Amino acid sequence: MDEKVPRSNIIETEIPMGTVHPAALEPYRVRFFVEDEIVQEAEITIGVNHRGIERIMEGLPVEKANSLTEKICGICSNSHIWNSCRTAEMGLGIEIPERALYIRVIMGELERLHSHFLYLAHGCEVLSHETFSMRVFYLREIVMELLAMIGGNRVQYGCSVLGGVRPRCDLDEAKLLRLKNDMDAIEEGLTGFVERFTADSIVMSRITGIGVLPQKQAIELAVTGPTLRATGVARDLRTTMFEYDNFDFNVVTQPDGDVKSNLVMRALESFESIKIIRQAIANIPEGKVVNRDWEMFDTDIIESYIEVPRGTLYHSYALESGRVRHCIIRTPSMANIGAMQYACIGDQITDAQLCIVQCDPCFTCTDRAIEIIRR
Amino acid sequence: MFSNVMINSIIVAAVTVIVCFIISTFLPGIERKYVHARIQQRIGPLVISPGILAPIKFIFKENVKVESPVPGLYKSLPVICFIVVTCLLIALTPQAFAIPALSSLVAIVGLLKVEEICYVLMGALSKSVMSVRMPFPDQIKGAVHNNAARSFIEDISSRRSLRMITYGSFPLYLALFAPITQARSIFLADIVSYQQAHGPFLFTVSGAIAAIVFFIGYMIILNEYPFSIIKAKSDVIEGPYMEYAAKYRAVVYLTRGFFMMVLGVLFSVLFLGIPPLITSWSILVNIIVALIFVFMMGIFSAFSPVFTNRQLLPTILGTTLLGVLAIVIGLL
Repeated sequence: MDEKVPRSNIIETEIPMGTVHPAALEPYRVRFFVEDEIVQEAEITIGVNHRGIERIMEGLPVEKANSLTEKICGICSNSHIWNSCRTAEMGLGIEIPERALYIRVIMGELERLHSHFLYLAHGCEVLSHETFSMRVFYLREIVMELLAMIGGNRVQYGCSVLGGVRPRCDLDEAKLLRLKNDMDAIEEGLTGFVERFTADSIVMSRITGIGVLPQKQAIELAVTGPTLRATGVARDLRTTMFEYDNFDFNVVTQPDGDVKSNLVMRALESFESIKIIRQAIANIPEGKVVNRDWEMFDTDIIESYIEVPRGTLYHSYALESGRVRHCIIRTPSMANIGAMQYACIGDQITDAQLCIVQCDPCFTCTDRAIEIIRR
Repeated sequence: MFSNVMINSIIVAAVTVIVCFIISTFLPGIERKYVHARIQQRIGPLVISPGILAPIKFIFKENVKVESPVPGLYKSLPVICFIVVTCLLIALTPQAFAIPALSSLVAIVGLLKVEEICYVLMGALSKSVMSVRMPFPDQIKGAVHNNAARSFIEDISSRRSLRMITYGSFPLYLALFAPITQARSIFLADIVSYQQAHGPFLFTVSGAIAAIVFFIGYMIILNEYPFSIIKAKSDVIEGPYMEYAAKYRAVVYLTRGFFMMVLGVLFSVLFLGIPPLITSWSILVNIIVALIFVFMMGIFSAFSPVFTNRQLLPTILGTTLLGVLAIVIGLL
């Protein structure tokens, strides 16, 4: 696939969108440089939602800091607290009960389902196909209720704690049965949606060959997660995470790197998540869900990477007298901003927001870094 | 005696227009509540919400100062649109048949063109805050195009409206002229009387094809999905209507519902030979036709994403060819 070259010498006009725009779920600014409604270049600027969470975390007891990470994102809140706990657990050498690992995986995959469904629904909304969007939102609702059943809330579950999961999140027989039944319902609903979606020739003509991100460019831009896999690169951190050692799943890829590949990728990956959850339900071991037998000591900087719905999530901090020091959090959207800008090039301005949305941005989580330019 | 007849005609025409207007306020609600919401398995708004309650609410809202370079003209455009739609309906009433200059297809097309030109002007004159960027370049990206000329997103909408005038609404006008092939006259009185004598044009091969073309043209001129490129949420948001607030937005809402009704009536005049007349039960046919169009439009729009030029051009080309076919068959 040919690399897209910005024709920067024929910029006709600049069309700024944002920081508030109905096609964008979050506040960010994008400047489109266009010629005859064709985007020649795009510049995305974030920073509107910087809340300084890393700074707030500095000096907090690690348990409190872990809870705070959940506030970073409203979609992958569980992933943040999971990875934050995981960072401390790796540094302190805490052994996690097997049952807790299974529950973490179940929560992680449920979160992936709801994130991917939100992605599909938002993608359809940007396409202005409200009916498809609503259908996916109904499917997502089942997942949200399951998350609320396990965590007690629809957004902030507080599932992971140091040493395992909160006892409230333990899964009894009734909860496991409901999980199992709802997985069947979601699979049936998702199958129906995918069949209808891919058979709709108008929708396919809107998304095929739009926002193409070539594989070579994706690798150069250090793109991560499903956006990378939609370019044909089978790279999924779950294959290296010890939590997933007992699970059998496929790393789904799509060949074209366009909007269609990205949307279909998420749908197919959702089936894999359902498969993982079913395995977890079938094989969840008995036993305690939290290990409280550990000691706190000072550590060097600890780093942890996990695969979250949008790509690779990085947490790192050091521990000093039980408090967090030198905290850094990097979310997948940070790596994918380059892809979003690149994907817009050569497409019509109507498709531009779709090209950004196909990379599944979550700018509120990404607003971690701040650069002060002194003149 | 003559003046009494004239006064009666004016009263009947006025009542017809008022009744049609009142019914039209329910149409957007019917589309959203009974079509979109039902298809999407949600409750939807109150049926009177989009067409009645929303305009009432907007009438009592405080207006905002528009950023348009010609605020007076910009604010008057919705009112002009409303007057044009009203004139269109008056032209369709049997009482207007006595004024051939008004009740001819040339006048109808002219009024529709004024409506379309208003969208171009609205887009060109709107300078909303949605396109005002933060006043600093992107340092990280290198700010490569620091001094690029800036456009407002409504400018795109305006250019698209112009494109719709030049070729987008072509199918609708072809469909409007298809009945002439049978009646051999551009005057509505002749078209109606021909159909009353020979049966509705709709039930001929040419009429059936032209009806399909008319329906697509109806969706195009109403800027309904999938043809809503001048107000696509994914880029130009509300497009020409972006800066309208308070009572001006209320007029925009009322005009849309009224336009739906009037186009339905236009179809029943041209394709069924039934003009709107409040003193006759036949007005029910006009209302039913308007409702059928609203339902059909709702169904089509609920299952379509917004078109870009890639889809729009072939669709319009295909529909135009269909319109030409309808005229050719009619002439044969």
